[in-house]
Amino acid sequence: MDVKPHDGPIQRLYARWLDAATKTGFAASLCAFLLYVSGALPPYVAPERLPELWSLPVGRFLEQTGAPTGWRWVALMDHGDYLSLAAVALFGLITLLCYLRVVAPLLRHGERLQAALAIAQIAVLAAAVSGLFAGG
Amino acid sequence: MKNLRLIHVAALVLALTASGPATAADGAALPWWIWPIALFAVSFIIGIVAVLAGVGGGVLFVPIVGSFFPFHLDFVRGVGLLFALSGTLAAGPMLLRTGMASLRLVMPLALAGSIASLAGAVVGLSVATDLLQIALGATVITIAIMIWAMKAADFGVVESDALGDLLRLRGEFEDPAAGMRIDWRTRRTAAGLAAFAGIGFFGGVFGLGAGFANVPALNLLMGAPMKVAVGSSGLIISIINSSAAWVYIHRGALLPLLAVPSILGVMLGSRIGARLLSLTPANVVRRLVIAVMLLAGARALLRGLGIWT
Repeated sequence: MDVKPHDGPIQRLYARWLDAATKTGFAASLCAFLLYVSGALPPYVAPERLPELWSLPVGRFLEQTGAPTGWRWVALMDHGDYLSLAAVALFGLITLLCYLRVVAPLLRHGERLQAALAIAQIAVLAAAVSGLFAGG
Repeated sequence: MKNLRLIHVAALVLALTASGPATAADGAALPWWIWPIALFAVSFIIGIVAVLAGVGGGVLFVPIVGSFFPFHLDFVRGVGLLFALSGTLAAGPMLLRTGMASLRLVMPLALAGSIASLAGAVVGLSVATDLLQIALGATVITIAIMIWAMKAADFGVVESDALGDLLRLRGEFEDPAAGMRIDWRTRRTAAGLAAFAGIGFFGGVFGLGAGFANVPALNLLMGAPMKVAVGSSGLIISIINSSAAWVYIHRGALLPLLAVPSILGVMLGSRIGARLLSLTPANVVRRLVIAVMLLAGARALLRGLGIWT
């Protein structure tokens, strides 16, 4: 069976980065959430208000709270809820990070087609992260 | 002992789903902190049950929380994507190290799926809630029937097609159960890519991980061994959901008060589920999952039709 000898090491490299990044995301989410619910960091929308708001469609929720869309929430990371959102958003970056890590080894081993697929996936993820597909 | 543990799990899931409508109705009257604790508990149990039943957590999380909790479906679907994403990210390293997931196989399929899932997420946030509840209910009931009817197939080493050869979709892994090294390759690559695009779209619309569909697409359609199909499905979910999750984040449809307890719950529950895997009779758990999905699917369907609000 024609299995490339470098498949294993590249796969294990991806696994190592995935493992480290996921553990970091878990720890960051837990810390940020404790800061949020303990009140150590003030929230943008008070948790006490949320039971009246979370049954609304997202559009009406945004109207009532003035909560930001797109990347504007980054400016609110001094609030407990948006620091928690940043920690949760880390999970959405982990795959991008792992793909970025394996592109160079793929090219080094002459895997141009696999590298092209990885670069295309990075482009799709980067476009998603940028908010290009979030629309209105 | 095994049955006792199983009965506890069953009782907890059913108690949570059965008590849901009453608590949902009182949603605004209860203190806010009840809900993250309830979400953590439900996510923890789903994390255990999903591993035992071999389904993605999102397919249980979205219908249960969407039907029995007071949150709008927009927020539930956003959390559902991150729920499935975090569970599969946590399992990914082990799957890759053991060869149960193949990065080479995953790359083209996940690319097709993630492009379609972006479109699905945009569509999902633009459709009327009632219509989505009806579609979600019908989809979840269909999936429950699929899980009930689905049987694994072992095709041995299949003949790969030209596209599969070009992408070198083949690999090998040590199967400890069989005590041997298994070589594999896949077939029908173009049909597989189309299937993953369709699955990605539905996953984006409903906020599901779609492992229920990935596994038969990899195993029955493409001829991958069952263990490689299950392992690679997890990694595919982690990639596809990474794209769709950003649509929900950018639209403001991700509430940290709902997302964080759900993520922490499923990540811890999945670990317990993995430990219980060898002790629990899989068929009984499978039947339990089907029952919960039918109940939650019926609830979503009836809610969308305005019959059970």
